[in-house]
Amino acid sequence: MADILQCPNCKTENPIGSKVCKNCQTPLAPANKITGGFIKPGQTPTKKHTADLEPILPQWLRDARNAARGSDSPNSMELPQPQEEKDKPSAPPPAEDLLSGLQSSQTADEEEEEYIPDWLVNLTGKSPTTPHEASSEPITNRRVEMGNTADFPHIKEEPTEEPETPSWLAGLQSPATEPEKDELTEWFRSASEAEQPHHTVEPKIENPVSTPQPDESPDWLRQMAMDAEQTEDAQTGISQAESEFPADAPDWLRNLGSAIEVTPSSGLNPFNLTEPAPAESEALASSTETPEWLKNESQKQDTTPKWLQDEGASSEAGTPAWLANETPVQRPPEPDSQPLSDDIFTELPGWLKAAAPESSIFNQPAKEPEASPEPQQDSQDWLKAFQLTPEATQEPENIPAFSTDFHSDENVNSLFTEMPDWLSNAMEPGSGISPSTSPAEDALAPSDLPSWVQAMRPVDTSKVVEEKPNPTPNKDLPLESRGALAGLHGVLPAMPGFTPTSKPKSYSIKLNASKEQMAHAEILEQVLAAETSPDSIETLSTYKASRALRWFVAFIVFVFVAIPVFLRTQIFSAPVGVPNETRDAISVVQAIPESSALLVAFDYEPSRAGELEASAAPVFDQLLLLKHPRLTFISTNEIGSSLAERFISGPLAGHNYQSGATYLNLGYLSGGQLGIRAFAQNPANVAPVDINSQSAWTSAPLQGVTALNQFAAVILITDNADSARAWIEQTEITRKDTPILVISSAQSTPMIQPYYASGQVDGILSGLYGGAIFEQYNAGRPGTARMYWDAYSIGMFIAVLLVLFGGLWNLALGLRDRQPAGKRKN
Amino acid sequence: MAISPDLISGALSFLFTILILSYVIGDNPLFRVAVYMFVGVTSGYVASVVIWQVLVPRLITPLIPAVLSNSPMQWGMIAAPLLGSIFVFAKISQRLSGLARFSMAYLVGVGAAVTVAGALIGTLIPQVQATIEFFDPQIAAARNITTAEVIGNGAVILLGVVTSLAYFHFGARSKPDGSMRRLPPIEILAWIGRIFIGITLGAVFAGVYAAALTALIERLSSLINFIGLFS
Repeated sequence: MADILQCPNCKTENPIGSKVCKNCQTPLAPANKITGGFIKPGQTPTKKHTADLEPILPQWLRDARNAARGSDSPNSMELPQPQEEKDKPSAPPPAEDLLSGLQSSQTADEEEEEYIPDWLVNLTGKSPTTPHEASSEPITNRRVEMGNTADFPHIKEEPTEEPETPSWLAGLQSPATEPEKDELTEWFRSASEAEQPHHTVEPKIENPVSTPQPDESPDWLRQMAMDAEQTEDAQTGISQAESEFPADAPDWLRNLGSAIEVTPSSGLNPFNLTEPAPAESEALASSTETPEWLKNESQKQDTTPKWLQDEGASSEAGTPAWLANETPVQRPPEPDSQPLSDDIFTELPGWLKAAAPESSIFNQPAKEPEASPEPQQDSQDWLKAFQLTPEATQEPENIPAFSTDFHSDENVNSLFTEMPDWLSNAMEPGSGISPSTSPAEDALAPSDLPSWVQAMRPVDTSKVVEEKPNPTPNKDLPLESRGALAGLHGVLPAMPGFTPTSKPKSYSIKLNASKEQMAHAEILEQVLAAETSPDSIETLSTYKASRALRWFVAFIVFVFVAIPVFLRTQIFSAPVGVPNETRDAISVVQAIPESSALLVAFDYEPSRAGELEASAAPVFDQLLLLKHPRLTFISTNEIGSSLAERFISGPLAGHNYQSGATYLNLGYLSGGQLGIRAFAQNPANVAPVDINSQSAWTSAPLQGVTALNQFAAVILITDNADSARAWIEQTEITRKDTPILVISSAQSTPMIQPYYASGQVDGILSGLYGGAIFEQYNAGRPGTARMYWDAYSIGMFIAVLLVLFGGLWNLALGLRDRQPAGKRKN
Repeated sequence: MAISPDLISGALSFLFTILILSYVIGDNPLFRVAVYMFVGVTSGYVASVVIWQVLVPRLITPLIPAVLSNSPMQWGMIAAPLLGSIFVFAKISQRLSGLARFSMAYLVGVGAAVTVAGALIGTLIPQVQATIEFFDPQIAAARNITTAEVIGNGAVILLGVVTSLAYFHFGARSKPDGSMRRLPPIEILAWIGRIFIGITLGAVFAGVYAAALTALIERLSSLINFIGLFS
């Protein structure tokens, strides 16, 4: 695809690099020129000639254009383009020419000269150029087009010497000139029999309309030429330039020459052409083929429309009414050109008027003809022929570049006979929509703005807008009364059925959820609440029953225990069975020498004082009575020293042991197992003083004792298995053969029993039972154990009964519960 | 009339006994008062004992002679426990509590060593040896124990020891069905050990009950004796 270039006109494939089509000589734009990349932000867009953009036109548009070209009859005013034109360079389009797309078709050859119509040649006096070959195009379908490359045989970047002549001026050239696609050129050429040599004209603007062939000039144009001839003699004030027209130049053209004032500064002047040579002017003037519309217009020069008559009453003959009312725009003097008469403007062909916006031409009211300013020096000489009289002409304020399409003579007449409503409204005072004046900060006052501009301004919504007839063509459409587009007609609604409201629609904040969704949410809330909620008690009856049962049991125990104590009964016999550990303990006690030093450790809690005192009292009673030992008390808890004092002053008070003399209280041994180990290794250093801060190891109870193994025995009174284990473990090595006797509570005896089984402990007295047994070996002294024995026995008996009864009760309940489960299974 | 200290002590004893026994009806303010009193008095007594029987005789009293002795050795000897005690007291402050790490680390380290050594030497080895000696006929004879008794006792003890230890063995393997079960021999031994453990716990419970019963009897006797003083 990239290797060939397709001709936009005849669809002929041409190789890459071809500048013109080999078939129709249409200039071929490079592929990259047509299908170039998009412009990125910041980049300067590359200039493109509109003619180069034809390949990118939509296919339907291209087909329409091709059809139009193909329907051109041989009688069309399209001039053939001789082959010679191909080699001639064409004039480059002006850089800032707004009507660059209106250029006539030219060859793509850069060397080809731009075709100059005969009539223009006659005007300018330059040598004409042969018209290029171009596809014919019916005049009726001619429209002002932009970028129709096929119509323009030449679009060159390089400047050319001879710009293309406008089509309507093409007929003014001699027939020998190369015809362009301009339709008028043909009749211009035919009208000018005595053609002057073509002069190259350098129009700055290229007429998009193709120059017609001489034989293809429309009838109206011929008629105009004829009328122009008729009125040629009647024309007065024809300037000198008129003599430059050819003999066959139409009268309207001659008249135009005096009225038109070409100024390079005017952007509305599409024909910014150089002044033609006098010879060309004559050729143009001598044109006999005047179009009908032009003849009619010349006939009707006196029949100005009413709306123009009033306006032009005070104006000169050549001043358009719409132009008379407008404030004259200050322009630089144009020495060469003269203002056109209003008659000339009214006689402009419709196609010429169609090229200009309506508002630019007809909105401007007629003004009094003013003294024509000095024409510019650089005005086109060839346009002088169109100037009638300086006083009859007036420089128009705005010369439109385009005008409405010219359909027929009747339509042309109607344009000037019937004043449009919008114009009438604009002329009437207070008519039409009165837009709100802009703030004082606006640059232009409302009165300075043309009416068509004022009509387009938005209406101030804060004011009441009178719905008055809208002079715009869309007055039938609904008027927008809200928003920024208030005052305009034909505003598209936002969307079908849209009813804009002043207030935004309020939406309910209520959650729209279906029943199913609400049910799921409720379930989720229950699950989350269940995570933090405590479990409720199933029944309160169970809790109440447990309290009553507890009270009952407590009552039973209290009563049955208190009665024997209170009555001091001795119903139950003393224990008979002597455990081995108790027997060994008795043996150890009996083996202690007299007046020996005994180390007694009080490592029990005050709550167990009753039991342990009842257990230890018989032993110490026997020892103190028979052996008179020197007692040394020590304890690994803080309360032990006080318990020792209580014990020696309570059950053993009768032995009258004195502190510091017969017994010594070393107090609290800190450090736990570390303290015991330290004491075992160096007792004198660990416990140097007693509880009275007296030196202990020099006192009588510890006379001759410096080590642990120098004690006759170690008696440990404890209710804790750990304490017993600590004493046993830490003194294992240093104690050596020193016996150790443990008087323990009933709850710790099972834990200490292995030590007795292993031989680490020499004897164990277990609670009240052991005390009771020892009392039997101590002649029943002191008797505390025997006193508690009945109550102890009853209490134990009650406990046995309760455990037995409770077990049976639970068994029955379990059996009862299993039966329903088995029945359910069955 | 002079009130003897025994009367006062007796009265207080009676009063607090009643307050403690009120727990039978449930937790009540009287019981709470008695508990708080015991806690308070005990805390005060303990504090006084620690100060007068530990800190003063073993820290402060040796400090003065050591300072006056001008001997670096004695200064070092007294400085170590002094700094250690100061570091332990630093636990009161949150900012300075980090200083107590040194003393606590020393105490924990030494204590652990002593405990482990004592347990090993004083409990583990002797207990294992004793278990073995149960099957020694000579030792049994020295204890006047017959052979059958020795074997029987030994067997029972050995079975109890092994099965009790097997009960606390939690090593298991996963089965193909995903369940975790121990080996069958371990399971059997653990089941037997559960029996011995249950019997042991029952014996412990009985001893606790016996001790508590004895304490109740003693208290009731004290109450009755106090009341009898006034009768």
